[in-house]
Amino acid sequence: MLNGLIDGYTQSLLIFAGINVIAAYSFFLPFKTGQVSLGQAGFMAIGAYASAIMTQKFGMPFSVALVFGGAVAGLVGIAVGFPALRIRGVYLLLLTLGFSEIVSVIALSWDYVGGAQGFRNISFNPYTLEYVIAIIVVLLLFCARLENSSLGRAMDSIHQDESAAEVMGIDVVRIKLLAFGLGAAIAGIAGALYAHHATYMDSTTFNIMLGVEILVFVVVGGGSTFWGPLVGAAVLNAIPEFLRALREWLELVPVEWTNFYPMNRVYDFLHGFLDFENAKRLIVYGIILILMMIFRPDGLLTRDSVRRLRLPGWKRRHA
Amino acid sequence: MREPGEVCLAITGLSKRFGGFYARPSRRTLRGIARTFQNIRLFPHLTVLETVMIGEHCRAYPSVWRALGDALLRPPFHEPKAEGEMRANAIELLEFLGLADKQDNKASDLPYGDQRKLELARALATKPRLLLLDEPAAGMNPRETSELDQIITRIRDRGVTIILVEHDMRLVMGISDNVTVLNFGTKIAEGTPETVQSDPVVIEAYLGEDVTL
Repeated sequence: MLNGLIDGYTQSLLIFAGINVIAAYSFFLPFKTGQVSLGQAGFMAIGAYASAIMTQKFGMPFSVALVFGGAVAGLVGIAVGFPALRIRGVYLLLLTLGFSEIVSVIALSWDYVGGAQGFRNISFNPYTLEYVIAIIVVLLLFCARLENSSLGRAMDSIHQDESAAEVMGIDVVRIKLLAFGLGAAIAGIAGALYAHHATYMDSTTFNIMLGVEILVFVVVGGGSTFWGPLVGAAVLNAIPEFLRALREWLELVPVEWTNFYPMNRVYDFLHGFLDFENAKRLIVYGIILILMMIFRPDGLLTRDSVRRLRLPGWKRRHA
Repeated sequence: MREPGEVCLAITGLSKRFGGFYARPSRRTLRGIARTFQNIRLFPHLTVLETVMIGEHCRAYPSVWRALGDALLRPPFHEPKAEGEMRANAIELLEFLGLADKQDNKASDLPYGDQRKLELARALATKPRLLLLDEPAAGMNPRETSELDQIITRIRDRGVTIILVEHDMRLVMGISDNVTVLNFGTKIAEGTPETVQSDPVVIEAYLGEDVTL
C-alpha cells in the first residue's frame, strides 16, 4: 500500500524508527508503575526468535507469528516480573540487565536458532511499515484510555509512592505484574517486526545497548505522559537524519571559503562530527542526555506541557 | 493482654487462619482497616480529587481485570459508570472535610493542615470500618488541632471505629471513649479519660513521682 508512495530508504528508516517507538512503549508501561527495566531488548529478542521460529520452522503466516512472539515474551515477562516485584531501583536495573544477558547467551548457544551463526533467511514481511503504524496507533489509543482510567491513576499512584498505594488498597502486586507483562509483550511484538524486516539476527542484535537506548527514548521524551515515548523515540531517531542533512548543506559551502587555515580545520572537524555512521552517535546521545538531565530532567514532554499544549488526553476525565 | 490482631478480628472479621491480620496491606484495607501516616505520604503529582479516588479504587475495582476492561472497552467519550460514582463519592468526602474548593490542586501544593485532611479523606474513601490514625495532630497548630478534633468526632458519628495514637493530651482527652496508656511498650492503664487522668501510675510515669503542688 505504502510501497508506491515512499522510497525504500525512507521506508526502512521509518520502520526502524517505528520499531523503536514500539520498544519505547514497552518500557513505558512498567515505568508507569515505577519499574525501570533495562531488559526490554531481551524481551524483543524473545519475541523475535519465537516469531521467526514460527514462520521459518513451522511455516506459519507472519500475523500468527507476531501474536505468538508477543504472547511468549509476555509470559516470560510475567515470570520475570515476579522476582522484580520485590526489587526496586538500581537492583531492578541489574536484574533486568542480567535477564537480557541470559537471553542473548541462550541465543548464542542454541543451535536450533542458528547459534553463533545467527538466525538467517527469516521470511521478509513486505507490510512491516503498515504493521508498525497500526501498532503505534493502537498503543497510543491504549495509553490514552489508560491515562483517563482508574487503573491508570492507580499505576501513577504506585509510581509515586508504592507503599502508600498498597495501604490504600491498590493491588500493587497484580497491577505491577500486569504492567510488566504487557510491556514485555509489546517488546516481543517489536522484536518480531524487526526480525521479519531485517531477515537476519544473531545474539548481539538485541544487546544491552539497545536496552539502554530504549530507556533513553523514554527519559528524553518524558516518562510522565504517554506522549513521551513517541516524541523521545522519534526525536532521537531523527537526529542522525538531521545531521546527515546538515552535512549535505556543509558540502555546499564553496571551497574557496574553507581552503585556508584555520577554516579548513573547522570544516574537517564539522564534517567528521556530522558523520553519523560510527560511534559518534553515542557521543551525541551522551551530550543530549547530559543536557536533558540539566535542563529538562522530566523529559521533553511532562504532564504540565501536555496540559499546556492541549494534546489529546491532556485532561483527565474528571475535570 | 489481648493481641492487637484480636481487636481487628472483632471489628472486621479478619481471620488469622487465612493470613488475615498478617495479609498484604491492600487485603487488610479491603477488609475494612484504613490508616493514615504520621509523616504525610500523599501522591505528589495527583490532584486532590484524584488522590481521594485512589482510595476508592479498591472498592470500585477489586479485580485488576475489571479495571483493565473498564479502562479499554468503554465506548469513546464515555466514562465507565464506576468512574462517575467514584467521583461523586470523592467530592462528597472532600465537602465533608472542607476541601471541595481545592479539588483540582496538586496534593503537594496544599498547606500542611490540608494535606493531613486529605490523608484522612483518602483513608475514608476506602470505606473503612476501623480507621487507624497515627499521630494525626503532629505538627499542627492549636487551631488546626481543634478543627481535627471536630473532624474525628464527625467521622466517628459516621460509624467508623477509630484507634488514635497521639500525644496531644487535649485532643486525646477531648474525644476518646477509651484510653490506653503505654509506657515503654507496656500497658499501664486503660479506661475512660477521667479514670486514666487520675490514675497514679499514669501520673507517675508521665509527670514523675512525688509531685506536690
